Amino acid sequence: MNSSSGSAAGPSSGSGDESAPRRNSKRPKYSKFTQQELPACKPILTPKWVISVFTLVGVIFVPIGIAALMASNSVVEIVDRYDTECIPANMIADKVAYIQNDTINKICTRNLTVPKDMDQPIYVYYQLDNFYQNHRRYVKSRNDAQLKDADKANKTSGCDPEKTTKDGSPIVPCGLIAWSLFNDTYNFTLGNQNLSVNKNGISWKSDRDHKFGKDVYPKNFQNGTLRGGANLDPNKSLNEQENLIVWMRTAALPTFRKLYGKIHQDLKANDTIMVTLENNYNTYSFNGKKKLVLSTSSWLGGKNDFLGIAYVTIGGLCFFLATAFTVVYLVKPRKLGDPSYLSWNRNPLGH
Amino acid sequence: MQISDAHEMVKLEKDPNAAFALIIDGKTLTYALEDDLKNKFLSLAVNCASVICCRVSPKQKALVVTRLVKEGTGKTTLAIGDGANDVGMIQEADIGVGISGVEGMQAVMASDFSISQFRFLERLLVVHGHWCYKRIAQMICYFFYKNIAFGLTIFYFEAYTGFSGQSVYDDWYMLLFNVILTSLPVISLGVFEQDVSSEVCLQFPALYQQGPRNLFFDWYRIFGWMGNGLYSSIVIYFLSILIFYNQAFRANGQTADMAAVGTSMFTCIVWTVNLQIVLTMSHFTWIQHLFVWGSIATWYLFLIAYGMCSPVISGNAYRILSEALGPAPIYWAATLLATLSCNLPYLVYIAFQRALNPLDHHVIQEIKYYRKDVEDQHMWKRERSKARQRTKIGFTARVDAKIRQLKRKLQKKVSSLSIQTQP
Repeated sequence: MNSSSGSAAGPSSGSGDESAPRRNSKRPKYSKFTQQELPACKPILTPKWVISVFTLVGVIFVPIGIAALMASNSVVEIVDRYDTECIPANMIADKVAYIQNDTINKICTRNLTVPKDMDQPIYVYYQLDNFYQNHRRYVKSRNDAQLKDADKANKTSGCDPEKTTKDGSPIVPCGLIAWSLFNDTYNFTLGNQNLSVNKNGISWKSDRDHKFGKDVYPKNFQNGTLRGGANLDPNKSLNEQENLIVWMRTAALPTFRKLYGKIHQDLKANDTIMVTLENNYNTYSFNGKKKLVLSTSSWLGGKNDFLGIAYVTIGGLCFFLATAFTVVYLVKPRKLGDPSYLSWNRNPLGH
Repeated sequence: MQISDAHEMVKLEKDPNAAFALIIDGKTLTYALEDDLKNKFLSLAVNCASVICCRVSPKQKALVVTRLVKEGTGKTTLAIGDGANDVGMIQEADIGVGISGVEGMQAVMASDFSISQFRFLERLLVVHGHWCYKRIAQMICYFFYKNIAFGLTIFYFEAYTGFSGQSVYDDWYMLLFNVILTSLPVISLGVFEQDVSSEVCLQFPALYQQGPRNLFFDWYRIFGWMGNGLYSSIVIYFLSILIFYNQAFRANGQTADMAAVGTSMFTCIVWTVNLQIVLTMSHFTWIQHLFVWGSIATWYLFLIAYGMCSPVISGNAYRILSEALGPAPIYWAATLLATLSCNLPYLVYIAFQRALNPLDHHVIQEIKYYRKDVEDQHMWKRERSKARQRTKIGFTARVDAKIRQLKRKLQKKVSSLSIQTQP
């Protein structure tokens, strides 16, 4: 221990007047913290550690990846784009006029074939493409206080332009998100049997219990000249309007799916399901797409191979790196602590 | 004329170990500092091993020693003094060191650093200077890295929102990132990091040269760290987006909204950035452990606490960890994957460097770790002596020292001979 220069000269004003008689010493009290001598572990990255870390990561990741891939492969999914198919032939040239004309019948039938056995519950989603629910002006166009409390119905700040009616009475629920509520409906039949769609329990429980009040009722909704989407039943409190609750959880990407309902019945391979849908929602003005999705789920969720593939890739890469480092350490071994690697030994002429 | 003669003498000297000393007093210095002689004087002085100026006034100290040398040679200057007459010199130099003591506290008050004895200057430079250089270099590079990794993810998201300015993270996450979640580990790095202990710094002054040679803050390193940040941001962003894409993320069929994706992405960033600093640090006290693991724990605690606030305040982040993300295996799997993928390149880089091209402090760390300095004392002493540059000693001084040595040997021989002939 270098105790001869005991009190460290730090970048602080030194106060030691180190005269010979120690009893007059102004030396500051020694403490491990101020002298930076706290006990510490100083790990070294040795070849043993490098190879074992890479091998461990590989050993953990590859099975996880394989399990994720198996889960994703076990999910059966049917995706059907219907917005282009459901336009009557005479209106293909002017889709916007078709969708905005209330007198035209919007009912459309589609047939879906089940590719593999699907176990209940089967989840029904609607998928929208090119719909920017994550646009900043859209995301902030809501008022959470109004949704929660009936006596805060007048709080409409932030909900421009869907704040109040022409005579100043507030719209409940206000804002563009609620105003643009999705309003296509789907009915399923298998052969001659009607498949019932359970529309309860599709939203988060915390939303139903705490975010949307059970005494808040829609008021003045979709009263204006421009109709953005669905109407809300003014006799049902907001916490029971689960389609609204699901819709108000703004999606992260312009291509998104939202849960429409659940079918509690098994479907067999090669079954043909007839879907009777109402093509109400206007995605034609902005080149959006509408798709109907039926999907089972696994312990990991829906069908997405990416997680499994990524895990297997990184795990494989780690195994490769472990072998590469083993080769490097065998071909060019460096004894640890070998002083011949010090810079003044390696190039003695110039430091 | 004298200056030109001396110049010639220095040039003609062939012995590389010979040293010249220049001695000049205050009165002569006024003439030597005149504009026409200044540069010649400086070039002569620079070629000498030491320059002694005596009877110099305080103004001359500041003018000569510092301004002339600083501007003439362009090097960093350090001035040390203990009296009031040194104040000008101390302030003029790049680094001023004051000694508090017999002559009062004026020098201390004017200086950047102050010590109590002249001999502490060695420790100030070789230990604390070396540590400070490493700490500051690592801290600045890491700071750039973590902010680039964080900020660029927000930027990438803009391309997916129609460039409307919506951020994928909740406002509170962004506020807390630099304040609580990643600041304390950097502070512990900047205050406590030691690549080698203080005894080793004193024993191996050559390690100090890593500072003047700027091995740790050159452009390669800075751009390397920025590149690491760019890579991390790309990996974290696209992994999160593609994992949570549009399908259900849980067994009961719910799809992920922006709050879920944003929270998951942010969790990956917090883990990645903190794991990166663990790989950078080489000296772990309880403080580092507390700050690093505490920062990560604080993030989860904050999520739980924020989630418990009324939805009027927390919006879509209400109960997000406890209800939505916590029970979803995909959240934890995404965090693990993103964290390890981002830190893999750095790990490969340092493993390669240590294997094939280790730096001095790496080798010395290993020697200390495996206690080779204790086992093989001879080697340790030899390396220590090599790590010091031989000081130059002038001709007459060396001759004198040799004569003294020979005289001592002769005396010993004479006394041993006389002892032998006695009995």
